[in-house]
Amino acid sequence: MKLWSISLRNLRIRLVATVLTMASIVVATGLYAAILVMAEQTKQRYEGSIGGYQAVVGPKDASQLELVLNTIFNVGEAPALFPMQACIDLREGKGFSRRGQVRYAIPQARGDSVSQFNFPVIATLDEMFTKYEWQKEPLRFEAGGGFRFGWDDLMAFAAELAAHENGKRAGAAPLPPRPLLRPEWKQCVIGSRVARQLGLALGAEVTPVHGKMGEFGYHEHPEAACKVVGILAPTNSPIDTTIYLPLSVHYLIDGHEAGVFVVEIPPGKTPDDAKKLPVAPGRIGLTAIIVDPKDHFGARILRTDFGSRPDAQVAWPQDVVPKFLRQIGNVADALTIIAWLVLLVAGVSITVAIYNTMNERRREIAIMRSLGARRVQILSIIVGEAALLSFFGALLGLVTCHAAAFLLRSVVEDQTGVYLDWAAFRPWEAWLLFGVTGLGAVAGLLPAIKGSMTQVADNLAQDY
Amino acid sequence: MIHLRGVKKSYARGTEAVVACAVDRLDIAAGEQVALVGRSGTGKTTLLHILAGILRPDQGEVEVVGQRIDQLGESARDRHRGRHIGMVYQTFNLLQPFTALENVLLGALFGRGTGGEARLRAEALLQQVGLADRMHHRPRELSVGQVQRVAICRALINDPELVLMDEPLGNQDRATGGQVLDVLLQIAEHGKKTVVMVTHDPESAKRMQRTVDLATLRSEAPLAVAGGRA
Repeated sequence: MKLWSISLRNLRIRLVATVLTMASIVVATGLYAAILVMAEQTKQRYEGSIGGYQAVVGPKDASQLELVLNTIFNVGEAPALFPMQACIDLREGKGFSRRGQVRYAIPQARGDSVSQFNFPVIATLDEMFTKYEWQKEPLRFEAGGGFRFGWDDLMAFAAELAAHENGKRAGAAPLPPRPLLRPEWKQCVIGSRVARQLGLALGAEVTPVHGKMGEFGYHEHPEAACKVVGILAPTNSPIDTTIYLPLSVHYLIDGHEAGVFVVEIPPGKTPDDAKKLPVAPGRIGLTAIIVDPKDHFGARILRTDFGSRPDAQVAWPQDVVPKFLRQIGNVADALTIIAWLVLLVAGVSITVAIYNTMNERRREIAIMRSLGARRVQILSIIVGEAALLSFFGALLGLVTCHAAAFLLRSVVEDQTGVYLDWAAFRPWEAWLLFGVTGLGAVAGLLPAIKGSMTQVADNLAQDY
Repeated sequence: MIHLRGVKKSYARGTEAVVACAVDRLDIAAGEQVALVGRSGTGKTTLLHILAGILRPDQGEVEVVGQRIDQLGESARDRHRGRHIGMVYQTFNLLQPFTALENVLLGALFGRGTGGEARLRAEALLQQVGLADRMHHRPRELSVGQVQRVAICRALINDPELVLMDEPLGNQDRATGGQVLDVLLQIAEHGKKTVVMVTHDPESAKRMQRTVDLATLRSEAPLAVAGGRA
């Protein structure tokens, strides 16, 4: 027999009071843990997702946050298009690239989605699976591999498309042919969650859609249905919910013709006049370019180059995301304060619950004292009761938090894009468990002091 | 074993101080079995609490088991009581939520500790008093006689040199009480333990080696002896 077993027995004797008091600890700890988990997972989601996105080039008239959120986190619509010339300059052209400061510059165009879940479709190059690095590693495949559509293919395709467009604008006869949607381009790579949620395997067919199901303007693009050739390994990032297909497919989708080329209206000309002007392959519209400068010096040059560029800008996720998280963090801080207050109230309820039993326990304490129990041992038994109550309450609170994360993970992921890893045990959970236990022990001090002051001779009652 | 000199304990009643117990001199040798008798209000229980170290006298010297306990602090007196003194009360004072075995082990917890041997010793004691098949029962599930025997086992669990009993047979019929006292005295004699028993019952007092009337301890005279076995 130990002192703690007496504490435990005392809790069992007053089971109803114990359960009610413990319930407040469970709620407080569960709430606090849930807030921490959400804040941590959100931070991990956003900070973790920027790995591999050293810089994002996008249209000049979008905000940097908008650009980063859309390109990296698939949040919202693509702000606007900007000419591919920026990408050509980065890879082949003047200034920045000539100085050899870029490891890769991968163009992207988005606008369509897949299924009722609106998994975003990103049209890009095969470099996304060969050069692009996620957390300093190339993307890994769970099954299959990447599609084949490289930079040279894009350049040849762009030239063909521009020739056709210029022929149309000039009214040429015969009209240079429009590039055809080649069967070898109709391939796609899908994220792990897309595969899981839609039950897709290698060889399955994915049909891009425009708009949201049930809304006006929603339509499918069966002509652009692509075969799944690769399924990416999970990254716990928006990559998991993305479908990648070749840029050529995006530009040849029915109805995309009008928005393929980005044309500036020269001074003194009307929009109709501009539609008749010849276009260069570099005027094909992109929604973003993922750029990785080779080093810090390269990053500075990139910043300078795009600072003066009229058609595109560069955004730095490492700058933008922390600012964004700080704003979210303020909300989390407010919720944390509420959770602390709930915990404080729970602590007070422990004090009150145990304090109220002290009068009826005077004889029991006097008996123990008469057997040789010192005041400090009586103090330990009562503080132990409060600590055990808090420990089990906190433990149950953490279990509740994990159970809630398990039950709500799909809803939360759909609504916020944040993946709740319900099974992971985090080191701070141990601190929270022992912290709440310590808080409970402190809450038990007042009744414990009262109990330890019990007069022995006066309370050894004469009735059985 | 026990030496008291000029002990006095008073309580405040309003503005007045009421003397609850006054003993000029009392000596009890090691292994002696003494009955403390006296009219109600003469301070028998108070004296027992002073011997146990539960109460501290206002004045006088109290030496118990070779220790001047009147000079000890409360915590040291508690420790001394736990290790060297076993107590049996008229009201038994068992803790209701605990089984008979656990009640006995409580004595060890606050005494010499609940090491590996304590449980074996507790079980052996309960067997010795005929409660082998009742050790996992709670006090409410036991008869009065059985409860008293559990209380005796609890008093003896730390193998104390001194056993103090406050009207231990007060709630029992004479036959049952006699049997319980037999068990206790047998164990005490076997272990050469000193026993001090407060009692109103002349028959029980006669079972002890010596009887001390508390009323006689207030004079300068030597200890009054009123019959007994030895």
